[in-house]
Amino acid sequence: MLSLLIWMPVLGAVLLTVWPSKLSAVRLRQIAFIIMAVVLGWTAVVGYAFTSSDASLQLREELPWLEGLGLSYRLSVDGLSFPLLVLNSLLTWLALHATEAKIQRPRLYYALILLLNAAVSGAFVAENLLLFFLFYELELIPLYLLISIWGGPRRGYAATKFLIYTAVSGVLLLGAFLGITWLGGMASFDYQPLLTQTIPVVQQCWLLGALLIGFGIKIPLVPFHTWLPDAHVEAGTPVSMLLAGVLLKLGTYGLIRYGMVLLPQGWETLAPWLATWAVITTLYGALMAIAQTDMKRMVAFSSIAHMGYILLACAAATPLSLLGAIFQMVSHGLISALLFALVGVVYQKTGTRNIEVLRGLLNPERGLPIIGSMMVLGVMASAGIPGMVGFISEFLVFRGSFPIFPLQTLLSIIGTGLTAVYFLLLVNRVFFGRLSPQVTDLPPVTWGDRFPGLILTGLIVLFGLQPAWMLNWSQATTTVLAAPLIRQPLITQATPVISPSSPL
Amino acid sequence: MDFANLASQLNAGAILPEGIVIITLLVVLIADLIVGRAADRWTPYVAIAGLLAAVGALYLGWNRLETVSFLGSFNSDNLSLVFRGIIALATVVTILMSIRYVEQTGSDLGEYLTILLSATLGAMFLSGSEELVMIFISLETLSIASYLMTGYMKRDLRSNEAALKYLLIGAASSAIFLYGSSLLYGLSGGSTSLAGIAAGIANSSQSLGVLISLVFVIAGISFKISAVPFHQWTPDVYEGAPTPVVAFLSVASKAAGFALAVRFMTIAFPSVSDQWQFIFTALAILSMILGNVVAIAQTSMKRMLAYSSIGQAGFVMIGFVIGTESGYASMLFYLLIYLFMNLGAFTCIILFSLRTGTDQISDYAGLYQKDPLLTLALSICLLSLGGIPPLAGFFGKLYLFWAGWQAGAYGLVILGLLTSVVSIYYYIRVVKMMVVKEPQEMSETIKNYPALSWKPFGMRPLQVGLILTLITTSLAGILSNPLFNLVNASVADVPLFEAAVPIRPAAPVSLQVPATPLSAVVPQSAPQAQTLNVNLRS
Repeated sequence: MLSLLIWMPVLGAVLLTVWPSKLSAVRLRQIAFIIMAVVLGWTAVVGYAFTSSDASLQLREELPWLEGLGLSYRLSVDGLSFPLLVLNSLLTWLALHATEAKIQRPRLYYALILLLNAAVSGAFVAENLLLFFLFYELELIPLYLLISIWGGPRRGYAATKFLIYTAVSGVLLLGAFLGITWLGGMASFDYQPLLTQTIPVVQQCWLLGALLIGFGIKIPLVPFHTWLPDAHVEAGTPVSMLLAGVLLKLGTYGLIRYGMVLLPQGWETLAPWLATWAVITTLYGALMAIAQTDMKRMVAFSSIAHMGYILLACAAATPLSLLGAIFQMVSHGLISALLFALVGVVYQKTGTRNIEVLRGLLNPERGLPIIGSMMVLGVMASAGIPGMVGFISEFLVFRGSFPIFPLQTLLSIIGTGLTAVYFLLLVNRVFFGRLSPQVTDLPPVTWGDRFPGLILTGLIVLFGLQPAWMLNWSQATTTVLAAPLIRQPLITQATPVISPSSPL
Repeated sequence: MDFANLASQLNAGAILPEGIVIITLLVVLIADLIVGRAADRWTPYVAIAGLLAAVGALYLGWNRLETVSFLGSFNSDNLSLVFRGIIALATVVTILMSIRYVEQTGSDLGEYLTILLSATLGAMFLSGSEELVMIFISLETLSIASYLMTGYMKRDLRSNEAALKYLLIGAASSAIFLYGSSLLYGLSGGSTSLAGIAAGIANSSQSLGVLISLVFVIAGISFKISAVPFHQWTPDVYEGAPTPVVAFLSVASKAAGFALAVRFMTIAFPSVSDQWQFIFTALAILSMILGNVVAIAQTSMKRMLAYSSIGQAGFVMIGFVIGTESGYASMLFYLLIYLFMNLGAFTCIILFSLRTGTDQISDYAGLYQKDPLLTLALSICLLSLGGIPPLAGFFGKLYLFWAGWQAGAYGLVILGLLTSVVSIYYYIRVVKMMVVKEPQEMSETIKNYPALSWKPFGMRPLQVGLILTLITTSLAGILSNPLFNLVNASVADVPLFEAAVPIRPAAPVSLQVPATPLSAVVPQSAPQAQTLNVNLRS
């Protein structure tokens, strides 16, 4: 069942590449839409089969693969990965909508987007450390090519920077995974048996250090973040949507699943430092965002700031804060994708993203009123105004983390204030006031341009008003995930503990 | 000694595959003499058929009961079978890519094939030799044939220069190797068989003499596998020599070198295993760093692949130095996969240079528009060499690093991981050149790219080679279980590692962890590689 989520896009990509007859860009786009719509529909089917009250890994599939290496094809999903899976399918589908109809080299483009989707889905459902690593690395080349072929003027630089950072992150992860398995005394990289490992705390801290830097590059955490603004500025709109919306979540997802859960004692030891690190990331990202003049760069830095909240919540590791972390992943995915989509439309219509040039785009006659309104709404959501997902997630994060790390939480709340500052600057300059003379005669905005934004806006408000619909998916899981870390060690673990498989 | 006894002592069936190669060689040679140029139409296929038959014979020899033949000078155990298979297959692919190349340069195909088959023969014998004279003769057969092939483009100055360089350095290294062997002969009290040497030097008090001969022998072997600092000849020879020859040298000749290294070190030098592991660890570290770092700066495709092959040899040496069973298995596995991906890359380069006459990396700019198949194949092979999943190279590296980590060679593995990041950078530079460049950034060469045609003589085999390596490189990783079992079986049944692996009392079943402090993750200090020769079978 989960396999189809990986293999349908892969097959689609292959189909798009090898289809013999000549297809126009528009036709290829339609085919890609259909494939992704099917995938999205299948995600819904998975959601139907998914039991939200069950905290364990479910819908499991397994096939032996390279037993000698400890690599097996095991897939499963739980309350942590399922929301991200939905996010991935949804955002890929919307990113296809946000793609220009007459894009250059459409075959390769759509094939790569589909491959990217498959790799990310695979990473979310993998239940074997090596399999996760395989998918994690698999996403590298498609994204590299997506940035370096369809990017802006300095795309070569940005793409190479992304490649090197991510490759280093992959190496660190592999090292840490080898270490976890080896020190945990396991013959295979399967996830479940590793839950019972007993690695001494000092070694856990070392392994966790490697994982933190590896995933920290991906999330990204300051000071490993410098690839992200470049990549965002140079990448096209749909790629930015996917990058911010889904790919960064691989980092936080991995940190929770492989860092926090597998190395609980080490995590507990390092948690105060992590919380401080989260604060630094948040404040640094927010302050940098204020100084930007390029809208996309600003949103990218705001992304970094918002990922800091997730780290804070993970460091606190109470059931509530973890719930907040998952919710923040989804809400950040929706909001940043919305912002990037809208900035993309503005750039497409006006030809610039410079805050100092643009003025008064909210003008109902000659501006971009609907785009502007959605932008205002997205910005409010990002700043955590009640009634939208941003508020719920940030509130959960802060409420959950406060009892553990009061100081760091309070400092992070300053970050929320700063979010309002830079986004108000942005909205004030770009959308309010008199329409600037440089940007008259804008081409008309079609409903096709607005479509991704409208869907995302709808979801942001919907889940802002009815968060329980999404929280239900994860509630059971977060309780279990946090269990080994709660400061009362007597709470038993609810996941079925499988005895270590027979050694090699 | 009666005849039956003699026949069983000779056990000539063990070299049936080599016999087939010799017959093929003779057929090609005689056909070329009698029929002349007209024979060029079919001799390559005879050669390929012969080599495939030899591979078939190797397959039949699997799990042979009596492996030692010719009074102990040749051992046809499963390990040698896999190495010989790698060499024969590499030659097959090399022939596929050579036909058009040799034809286009106007040289004689029959002679070329004869020399190539002689080199193959030498390399195959080298993989199973267990006696000094046999080893040296095989080594020289391989080497002299290689020098000849390197200078095969008689009218090309670069080719001549490369041949001369290769000959001089090669002869010197052979002499050093021979000197080391002669020392061993004396130290062991007059034994030429490797096992006899091991027994002889175990009791001798001349430990300095043993070490000197060890160093000399390693120097000779390192020349063949072009490990740093014995790599100086590689870039020049690779650049000047005909490309198919380079492909052969980078795979078959290297595989033979590794086969020799494994056999020589494990059988003859178990008593100084710490020392040779230390030396090879140093060689591996230097090769990985220098090969991968210098490759970044290259502008010529062949030179880049030369340095990359040095780096790749460094990765393979990880599997060798750790000295565990899975280490040897991973080394074989990597060589098998390396065969296809590296030869695939060379096939692409040959095709490109046949069509355009250049091998500058910058000339590849924008290739995707003119030749999608070539772009795809070269991208896949290079990415696989860089270790990108789900291609074959990823699994090969994973297995090497996994085995290395298991044996406790943390420093080596971490260095390998880091240098493979470097390697991704320079491999992807070529991919970027081909795929990313826009039409207006296309190089002059690509603008004048000739129309695709597979019609001329020799292009079909090239195409077959291209598709074959492309498919294998893409799928061999995902479906690697059979290969995996093959290499594991080939090292599992071989008794020779008993001697090499110091029997340690610990490690009851496989992966039980020695309580290694994690501080061992700090960069490799040499002894760590030696400490953890966990015997997985005990």
